Amino acid sequence: MMSDQRPEFHAALNRLEETTLSMAEKVEGMVDMAMRALVNSDERLVSQVIESDDAVDEIYMGIRARWMHIMARQQPMGRDLRMMAAILEMNNTLERMGDQSVNIAKIARVTAGLPREETILAKLQEMGDLLKPMIRTAIDAFTRRDAEECRLLPAMDVPVDVLNRSMWKHVVECGHDPELLEWATRMILVSRALERVGDQAVDIGEQVAFLMTGDHQEFLRLHDYGSD
Amino acid sequence: MSTRMESPSTVVGGAVSPGPSAGLDGSVGSSAIFEIQNLNVYYRAFHAVADTSLNIFQNEITALIGPSGCGKSTVLRCLNRMNDLIDGARVEGRVSYHGIDLYGSSVDPVEVRRRIGMVFQKPNPFPKSIYENIVFGPRVAGWKGDFDDLVEESLVRAALWDEVKDKLQNSAYDLSGGQQQRLCIARAIATSPDVLLMDEPCSALDPIATYRIETLMRELKEQYTIVVVTHNMQQAARVSDRTAFFSVDVGERGQRTGRLVEYDSTDRVFTAPGKKETEDYITGRFG
Repeated sequence: MMSDQRPEFHAALNRLEETTLSMAEKVEGMVDMAMRALVNSDERLVSQVIESDDAVDEIYMGIRARWMHIMARQQPMGRDLRMMAAILEMNNTLERMGDQSVNIAKIARVTAGLPREETILAKLQEMGDLLKPMIRTAIDAFTRRDAEECRLLPAMDVPVDVLNRSMWKHVVECGHDPELLEWATRMILVSRALERVGDQAVDIGEQVAFLMTGDHQEFLRLHDYGSD
Repeated sequence: MSTRMESPSTVVGGAVSPGPSAGLDGSVGSSAIFEIQNLNVYYRAFHAVADTSLNIFQNEITALIGPSGCGKSTVLRCLNRMNDLIDGARVEGRVSYHGIDLYGSSVDPVEVRRRIGMVFQKPNPFPKSIYENIVFGPRVAGWKGDFDDLVEESLVRAALWDEVKDKLQNSAYDLSGGQQQRLCIARAIATSPDVLLMDEPCSALDPIATYRIETLMRELKEQYTIVVVTHNMQQAARVSDRTAFFSVDVGERGQRTGRLVEYDSTDRVFTAPGKKETEDYITGRFG
């Protein structure tokens, strides 16, 4: 009959995992909110993203403190050790995803009122739409300990990278209008932030794979081999 | 100093023992010093260890871990025939040392124990001076050489010399527990073994003494092969190169038989073991 000889430790580890998951869901919402703030020039959503990031930063610091506490007191091993390693890595990744959302939201704020170019906006929206299932897949793979599901992520990231690489051409086409060019130039930063969020979702997938297999592996980054 | 006892040429009467055998796994730089094949150990009708096979590699620290009653100490004692001293003990299978069957009819168990020294859980110095503890074994073995140099060299290797060099004639019992354990290691080293077996060598020591012994083990592995039984998984993770995890099967009538579950690099065993049973044990999920 299997019994848990370290119930307090495992309870603490479970709580840390739950906190990480709730942080991931908060960040998922932030990315979506930031894109809606951009598309709709919605200052209320901009403020919400920034407030959410303060909360995410607090969770991030809390996870780090509890992580240190558990490591110092419990010396985890085996899959517990892998879970601890994955949580630390994911904590960093999620905090940066939150920061990218803030970057997008702040750009939405400073570009409100500037003329827009619809093709660029549509492509950014498309990138945002591609990212939603990526982030969800990463979270679900972690929740379900699904090493196969997380392997879908590199392929899901490819169209995001393609759209990001195509962005500069559209921006150049805005060169005739200084106001439009200012807006378009800032959209390159949005595109770059979204591209990073895609990579970060893949990073989470790699942590899930490590958690399940014990092998450190970097998924094949298809965009590394692609060309414009 | 050049007073090391000459390494014995043999554990088998009249025959010259071979050098280290090639690594059975084909690995470069590591050669198997012990090859254990299908080891079964019985204490009368009690089957203590079942069907265990593993190789112990030269100049490495191998940790044997597992719950109480899993047979790890029994396996350790098979490596220098200490089980011969237990009434009713019976060993089946093959334990070879540098290719020689340790349980062969022509093998001298006393010589085996001289080449394969042992350090026990509780420090057990003789009720004699520090000096006499070191020279006792070599003197009984008829060794001719400079005992003063032998004492110094053994104590230096056991990282105890600086602490005791001015009180060599004091009783070993005057030393602290950690110092007594290092004296026991020095005593084992004095007979020029090439293997040190350690049966929970730190379980009676405080943390500082434990770290000193662990540091010493890492230094000693440059010259010796070390096999250590420990209940302390963190200790196994800190000091060893490879780890063997043993578990125990409980029969219908409560009889407990140990068996080897997994044997791999220590890094692998403690981060991503191959067997669920190992992972359950090291993460504290077991019955």
